[in-house]
Amino acid sequence: MTAAASPLPERRAKPRGAALDPLFRAVCFSAATFLLTALAGVIVALAIGGWPAFHKFGFAFFTTSRWNPVTEVYGAAGPIVGTLVTAFLSLAMALPVAFGVAVFLTEFCPRLLRRPIGIAVELLAGIPSIVYGMWGLFVFAPLFAKYVQLPLILAAPPGSIWESLVSGVPNGANIFTASVILAIMILPFIAATLRELFLTVPVKLRESAYGMGATSLEVIGSVTLPYVKRSAIGAVMLGLGRALGETMAVTFVIGNAHGFPHSLFDSGSTIASTIANEFAEATGELHTSALIALGLVLFMITFAVLALARALLGRPPQV
Amino acid sequence: MNVHTGPEAFESYVEEVKDREIKLEAKNLDFFYGKNQALFDVSIQFATNAVTALIGPSGCGKSTLLRALNRIYALYPGQKATGQILLDGQDILARGLDLTVLRSRIGMVFQQPTPFPMSIYDNVAFGVRLYENLSKADLDARVEDSLRRSALWNEVKDKLNSSGLGLSGGQQQRLCVARAVAVKPEVILLDEPASALDPISTAKLEETIVELKRDYTIVIVTHNLQQAARISDYASLMYLGKLVEFAQTEELFNNPRTTRTSDYITGRFG
Repeated sequence: MTAAASPLPERRAKPRGAALDPLFRAVCFSAATFLLTALAGVIVALAIGGWPAFHKFGFAFFTTSRWNPVTEVYGAAGPIVGTLVTAFLSLAMALPVAFGVAVFLTEFCPRLLRRPIGIAVELLAGIPSIVYGMWGLFVFAPLFAKYVQLPLILAAPPGSIWESLVSGVPNGANIFTASVILAIMILPFIAATLRELFLTVPVKLRESAYGMGATSLEVIGSVTLPYVKRSAIGAVMLGLGRALGETMAVTFVIGNAHGFPHSLFDSGSTIASTIANEFAEATGELHTSALIALGLVLFMITFAVLALARALLGRPPQV
Repeated sequence: MNVHTGPEAFESYVEEVKDREIKLEAKNLDFFYGKNQALFDVSIQFATNAVTALIGPSGCGKSTLLRALNRIYALYPGQKATGQILLDGQDILARGLDLTVLRSRIGMVFQQPTPFPMSIYDNVAFGVRLYENLSKADLDARVEDSLRRSALWNEVKDKLNSSGLGLSGGQQQRLCVARAVAVKPEVILLDEPASALDPISTAKLEETIVELKRDYTIVIVTHNLQQAARISDYASLMYLGKLVEFAQTEELFNNPRTTRTSDYITGRFG
């Protein structure tokens, strides 16, 4: 027993891991810097690659819709509008349903069904987009053309706004179909995230609201939603981001026409589908450049959406 | 005196409430969490305009009893109560009863403060707006009255529009009391309302509770015996899901009729 001789243990100079700590910091730091460098690199590469197109067409690149690789004239208004319309339309369709699914799962679902349905929703989120695309093209689009598009076109009074909204070749491959497919794709993601969020609401808070004699709708509207508001906006924006960038499924069902879409049932294109369709065939410098410029635009749109989400989230709480 | 652990006849003493109206009454109440029975044949009366305290060691069923009284447990499938709970003589366990109306008649305040994510004013007005269509002036008056009753008005009157989440724990709890009072319920259930509070906030809350009994019937779950002795008119000790003793508070504390009660209040078990 040496403890009797020296009652205090000899103090160690440094913990054993001390030597490794600077290394650990350096590794973490370089991981973070690498990410930022890669991001900056992508932006720079897109800007340089797209420069010839921006330089040649100027602002008209965004405002005109003639896209002709033969005459080397590129105007991207069609794909840009197509991207925005399909993304927001799909969000408008998916959000109410996703909300309903999430509320049902957290509030009304019998306990026995809760797990199976929850798992099913998560499985749906995992289906590869190309599967959605094929299903959309081979199954959904023909049915849609036959039972929705055609009757609507026939029913629309000539010359009305109604007609201009639904006109187009009734082949089922159009902007609206693409939006529906996108909606189905982002629905499980939004639903699963909303459900997770709803589950974070403290039990006692819900019980308090129910304890006041509130109905389910009142509890959801006045307590649950305000409680998760900020995160919910983030979830919705992530879903929107996914819709903006989705390529494969959209390429299948949107019809791939370059012109400016004139109705909801018109064939169109999105930025992502245009790039996917043409990159292999883009031989001319200007064509390649125009596609890269499109990529930069998509990047900017997505960035703007995320920045907007951030701005909404970053505001000090209203309550 | 020995600690009661072995199997023995369950000794219990339940007094009838005399000379007072009965607002709420449980009769032969059993309660189940799935297959687990948590309350066994509990019969207890809650007198109008009185504070009734439910005391007992953790897990004795006092919170369960409270949660049965406004059927908040019905939010959870698998929990069920059998027997009778009579509110003004009407059985609230009956099928088809409108739970939202029931809960507006029997308000509840929880252990942890649970302000809603909205302004102080809206917190108090929340329940009122659900049931009444008051003019702005009437609603203002109701909110002020409720906040005064819960002794919070002076602290928040200049910041009614700021978030209820910004208040201290004690203030939040009194806000929850104000919120419960605002809907003018007939009964207020309090589930260990002071357990998360400091002594000063607790004292204020106790004053509030004593004030409130003039207009309401109050049932309070507490694990603080002194608190029960200070503020309640009737007290009941529960143990293992059964009612051990129910009597006027003074009687129960000064002249306990069962050994378990005298053991519990002298600190020998629980």
